[in-house]
Amino acid sequence: MLRLDNVSVTFNAGTPNEVRALQNLSLFVEDGEFVTVIGSNGAGKSTLFNVVSGAVHADSGRIELDGEDITISPEYQRSHDIGRVFQDPRLGTCPGLTIRENLSLAAIHGRRAGFRRDVKKAEESWFIEQLERQRLGLEHRLDADVALLSGGQRQAITLVMATLAKPKLLLLDEHTAALDPNAAEQVISLTQELAEANDLSVVMITHSMQQACDLGDRVIMMNQGKIEFEISGEERENLTPADLIERFHSLGSGAELSDRQLLA
Amino acid sequence: MAVNSSAAEPQQARGSNILGDFFLRVIVLTIVIAAFMRFGNVNIGAIGQGLGYALAGVTVFLTFRVLGFVDLTVDGAFPIGGAVCAVLIFGGVRAEIAILAAFVAGALTGLATALIDILFKIEGLLASIIVITGAYTVTLHIMGGKSNVPLLGKETLISRHSRDFRNWLVEQFGDQMRRQSTNLLEIMIFGLVVIVVLVILYWFLRTEIGLAIRATGKNDQMVRATGLNHHLMIIIGLMVANGLTGLAGSMVVQQFGFADVSLGFGLIIRGLAAVIIGEVLLRPRTVGQLLIAAAAGMLVFDISRAWIFSALDLPTTDIQLVSALVVLAALGTPRLYDQWQSYRQRHN
Ligand SMILES: Nc1ncnc2c1ncn2[C@@H]1O[C@H](COP(=O)(O)OP(=O)(O)OP(=O)(O)O)[C@@H](O)[C@H]1O
Ligand SMILES: [Mg+2]
Repeated sequence: MLRLDNVSVTFNAGTPNEVRALQNLSLFVEDGEFVTVIGSNGAGKSTLFNVVSGAVHADSGRIELDGEDITISPEYQRSHDIGRVFQDPRLGTCPGLTIRENLSLAAIHGRRAGFRRDVKKAEESWFIEQLERQRLGLEHRLDADVALLSGGQRQAITLVMATLAKPKLLLLDEHTAALDPNAAEQVISLTQELAEANDLSVVMITHSMQQACDLGDRVIMMNQGKIEFEISGEERENLTPADLIERFHSLGSGAELSDRQLLA
Repeated sequence: MAVNSSAAEPQQARGSNILGDFFLRVIVLTIVIAAFMRFGNVNIGAIGQGLGYALAGVTVFLTFRVLGFVDLTVDGAFPIGGAVCAVLIFGGVRAEIAILAAFVAGALTGLATALIDILFKIEGLLASIIVITGAYTVTLHIMGGKSNVPLLGKETLISRHSRDFRNWLVEQFGDQMRRQSTNLLEIMIFGLVVIVVLVILYWFLRTEIGLAIRATGKNDQMVRATGLNHHLMIIIGLMVANGLTGLAGSMVVQQFGFADVSLGFGLIIRGLAAVIIGEVLLRPRTVGQLLIAAAAGMLVFDISRAWIFSALDLPTTDIQLVSALVVLAALGTPRLYDQWQSYRQRHN
């Protein structure tokens, strides 16, 4: 599904502010696989998503999606196959437009925008059904301006929008971080269901060790732009947050845990 | 922008309440303007003039507010549209076709700005100044090297009906209407054009492309993540927007009876003033209301300016200075008001 070969990204190269955000990173995600990514702040997790989605271009290396070389293709083209929830809740939806209008935009996914006005009934009812399952009451507010919603509510909508057009790959960047614990649980279980029902490949960044252990098939730990370790198979099945934190610590300097991670 | 505001109260669907308020404000504004013109001795020609320029206000709304693009192209698109229209009408082409051609010419001017912005990554402000500078020469060339093309005796949208309309008016209301007949005819024809254009725009901004253009101005990252080319949306947006200014140019040329290279001078600043006047006076919320407010703002601007001229009995040479002062008043008053408000709050 997704293959990264020795991908590097350096910001502000040659200046005192140089940051080597990704260093010769290689990664393979199988069809239908669910991968969780953990790592301290600034480890390069979001940059990994940016380079896959095309928001940032790789300085070197090669990226393949579904057998196709996408290393230099523009972001909007890659987006036909990639659904995305950003770390910043503001990026996934458009303020000034209503929830329904945002849905119309998401429904264009994968084709050209035209002069059509309303989304198909089937798409709208699917969308409403997913909103109902999040139990945030958003299904009653379809004509509300998105700017009036909280960050968590916007993330919840973005998740549904990102899966509406059935992408091949779903990239979730701490998409429950802005939600309260109850809502986070709803959204996580919806994430799992959506991934299974649509047979999506999912990569999910999280700071919650619990989520990293509960969800998916494989855990990846990133540090300073590299993949530090992976846990899969049997070891992954029996993994507990305590184990993860221990592995984290054993890395020594450079990998520091925030309080948020220890508490999670 | 209230991004992380905690869950707002379940918001009522924007119902008839706000809509009603808006139209109430429109009606009040209309009455105030009518009274103002009556007692301030403003000729109703100012309305026709305002309607001629109104679509330039809508252009500025589309570029600055919808696309979030600082675009000064109107100063070039307006005379180009006017020149194309005048040359075609002079050559015997029907006025309707000349007007459509003016729209296309304006749209191409917008395209030039969009391409400079996208290909060279020169920001809108500079890109549009480059385009305006070049547009001056293009306008001169369109007019065959002359700085002025008169339309005397040619059939324009106005002159086509003016005799019939005058006769009808005199027949119905007596001889005192003779003097106002051209002004009234302009108001009717231009009013119709503006309304038709606004209705089409209202429809357009709610189609998928329209939504994508609106989203590009607010969150282009999301547009790309949706699989849409945000550059294409900037191109379409700037073309449609500046096409409207080209169209306005063609209307004003037919009204004046001539085209001139200097016709668009300072128009961008009037467009900005129009948008702000519309927003302050009418407090529009929905897309349709915003469009109406931008057009209405231009009317208010032109009428206020005409009033200053007649009240102070100024010569036409002072027109740009008066424009600048009216713009200053329109832009400055809301800011002074805000400053005064926060001053009062701090000292309470
Ligand atoms: N556009 C950019 N320009 C310059 N530096 C950047 C840019 N984007 C990211 N960086 C830098 O790259 C490094 C990796 O950032 P990234 O956002 O990928 O971290 P992260 O693992 O997602 O962290 P967090 O857990 O805080 O979200 C950081 O040092 C960051 O400052
Ligand atoms: Mg991040």
